[in-house]
Amino acid sequence: MKITIETTNGTTTAHLEGRLDTPASTEVTPYFDQLQEHADGTVILDCTELSYIASSGLRLFLALRKVSMAKGGKVIVKNINDGIRQVFMMTGFLNMFEIQ
Amino acid sequence: MSTKERSEKKLLGKSARAGLLVVVIAIVTLEATSITQYIYSQRGIKEEASQRAQSELQSATNRIMDIVNQAEGSVNNSLWVAEWCLETSPDSLVRVPQRVVEINPVVVGSTIALVPGYNKKYPLYSPYATRNLETGEIETLSLATDSYDYPSQEWFTQPMASGEGYWSEPYFDEGGGNMLMTTFSMPVKDHEGRIAAILTADISLDWLTELMENTKSYPNAYNTVTSRNGHLVLSTNLEAQQSGNLDTLVYQAPVERTGWTLSIVIPEKDLFAGVRRVGMVVKILQILGVVLIIVILRLIAKNQLKYKNLNTQKELIQNELRIGRDIQMSLVPKTFPAFPKRTDLDVAACIVPAKEVGGDLYDFYIRDEKLFFCIGDVSGKGVPAALVMTVTQSLFRAISSRENSPAKIVASMNDSMAEKNENSMFVTFFCGILDLVTGQLRYCNAGHNPALRVGVSESMVVTGTTVSQLPVESNIPLGLDTGFPFKEQEAFLGYDDTLFLYTDGVTEAENATFELFGEERLETTLSTKRDAQGQLEAARDAVNNFVGDTPQSDDITILVIHYLATPAKQERRLILHNDIQQIPQLADFMETIAEEKGLDQGLCLSLNLALEEAVTNVILYAYPAGADGLVNIEAVLREHSLEFIITDSGVAFDPTAVPEADTTLSAAERAIGGLGIHLVRQIMDEVRYQRLDDKNILTLTKNI
Repeated sequence: MKITIETTNGTTTAHLEGRLDTPASTEVTPYFDQLQEHADGTVILDCTELSYIASSGLRLFLALRKVSMAKGGKVIVKNINDGIRQVFMMTGFLNMFEIQ
Repeated sequence: MSTKERSEKKLLGKSARAGLLVVVIAIVTLEATSITQYIYSQRGIKEEASQRAQSELQSATNRIMDIVNQAEGSVNNSLWVAEWCLETSPDSLVRVPQRVVEINPVVVGSTIALVPGYNKKYPLYSPYATRNLETGEIETLSLATDSYDYPSQEWFTQPMASGEGYWSEPYFDEGGGNMLMTTFSMPVKDHEGRIAAILTADISLDWLTELMENTKSYPNAYNTVTSRNGHLVLSTNLEAQQSGNLDTLVYQAPVERTGWTLSIVIPEKDLFAGVRRVGMVVKILQILGVVLIIVILRLIAKNQLKYKNLNTQKELIQNELRIGRDIQMSLVPKTFPAFPKRTDLDVAACIVPAKEVGGDLYDFYIRDEKLFFCIGDVSGKGVPAALVMTVTQSLFRAISSRENSPAKIVASMNDSMAEKNENSMFVTFFCGILDLVTGQLRYCNAGHNPALRVGVSESMVVTGTTVSQLPVESNIPLGLDTGFPFKEQEAFLGYDDTLFLYTDGVTEAENATFELFGEERLETTLSTKRDAQGQLEAARDAVNNFVGDTPQSDDITILVIHYLATPAKQERRLILHNDIQQIPQLADFMETIAEEKGLDQGLCLSLNLALEEAVTNVILYAYPAGADGLVNIEAVLREHSLEFIITDSGVAFDPTAVPEADTTLSAAERAIGGLGIHLVRQIMDEVRYQRLDDKNILTLTKNI
């Protein structure tokens, strides 16, 4: 699992790459903590290169969403694959995030 | 005496009898030929002798006639003088014989003898003229003496009686010239036709003796002249003539006017001396020939004995090879159907060695509801290969009886064989273990031809059978390198699937134009569903038809395994420690299953997720913190379902008891936890929990 974060004009974009399974979630938790600091603005989770997500990953998404909501920010999930879309649907996440 | 000696002696006796027969036949043939030749050459020689004698007699007769004619002529030509003298002056009659002698050299004496009383003046008158042999002068004397009485002599009486010329019997004249003589006498008639006198001419027969002696065609042949009365006039070999005890051939010819008979007498001994000499030479040659035949026969008999010995040895070797073959064949299972009581399995196999014994092998047997099987091909052919084959076969039996992993069986066999492999023989080997319940096939291929799998088409559109090679790792053949890490592989057989294993004798079978049968032809042959025996026969027939009359160059071995069970399941297992870092292994595990079942990526991801959530739960909560524990994950693959059985020995925990997460809630209201088990429920069709033997057993089922 690989994550890169860049901030331009108040928009923070995180490029997620690989499989976000349970051990990976633990691994990337610090990055999500970092994202939470920018949660007042727009945070884009670019999932173009994300192939898989487990519930632990979903929890990181959810936690970020909660902080963002609290700070009046916005979380956009971009380019999820069909598998992940299926998971989002099963968990009701499709309703909780702005999906692009 | 040993059997061998006895049989040799018998054989020798036999050939001696045969040899004797040959010799006898040869002698009879040679003898018959030489007798025939002898008879014919005798005949030829006789004919030739006859011709020769005839021609000699002819020439002698001609010579005699010549002289006879001269003699007669000398008389006849003087007749007119005699007649004239009689008429005119009888005193001059003495001139007549003088004239005869004078002008005819062959005439040695002549007389004119008056018929007594014809002339008054000379009642007896016979002047005789003769040539003096020394001086050559002609002397005249009178034969009209008291002692001689010429009118009673034969030379006088005969022509008087017949009135014609007469040749006297030859006689030996002691008085005149001491020589053999003959006399021609002719009557002289007067003008009244009365016989007035007899005119004679004496001829010496010395020339005849000479002539006869010169006529000598054979060394011991002789000639005779006999007179008209049968008296012997002369013989060139009086001794032989008188002894007369020889076998002789006599050729005769008459001499006209004189009444003589000329004979040539040839002793047979003389005549056939040449033939007899030739006959002797032929006899000697015959004897030499027979001796030669006997020598040759002896040599042949000795050689035959040698060949007989060779043949016996060859037969012995052949016999031993046959026994060897029987032993080899007794090592491989060859009763078919192999498992008549089983409905889930059908096996057929065959070995067709190119020579009496071969280096191919196969084996199969069932242990613990698993079919252990193998096929192999030893490098090389004949007895060395056969020995290695038996070793390999025995090793497989021994090692597979206690090992359950094909790779371990192969590795163990390889170590045993490579350790003492001084001849660098190797064996290509395929070892498999088929779980008859689950259809799971584990196999290890050590450099052998990949097994073919004949199965039902997986495509929903295309129906029929597919033939495919089992994927094989590139392991080396057995016997080359100890400690080689053989890799094991796995496949699953479904109902009616067939495994076709073979040695390269099948694909490398060569026809008359050096074409190989090849894998393509084999796969085409197998592309129809048949039972094991049918599949085997189809392949064998195809090879036989392809090859035709070309002699088989390599052993041909086929092993066909027809799987007929509906496998309850295919099982896969993964064991993890209670460490979250081991979670990624699930992804690989799942991917293999998805590949095997042909699942799409979406479903694979979902199942992976459900599995991960369930396993994560166990890892995180089943065992006390810091305690080591295991999570056992078994995947059971059925035709239309997938089952995951997750077992742990941790504290009892029933995830199914956790309340459903409410996904309708807003993000703000949603709890962070509880998503995992929710996903498991969402993804799976059935989630079951059991607590058994102090173990948590969570069964997740997905219908596909």
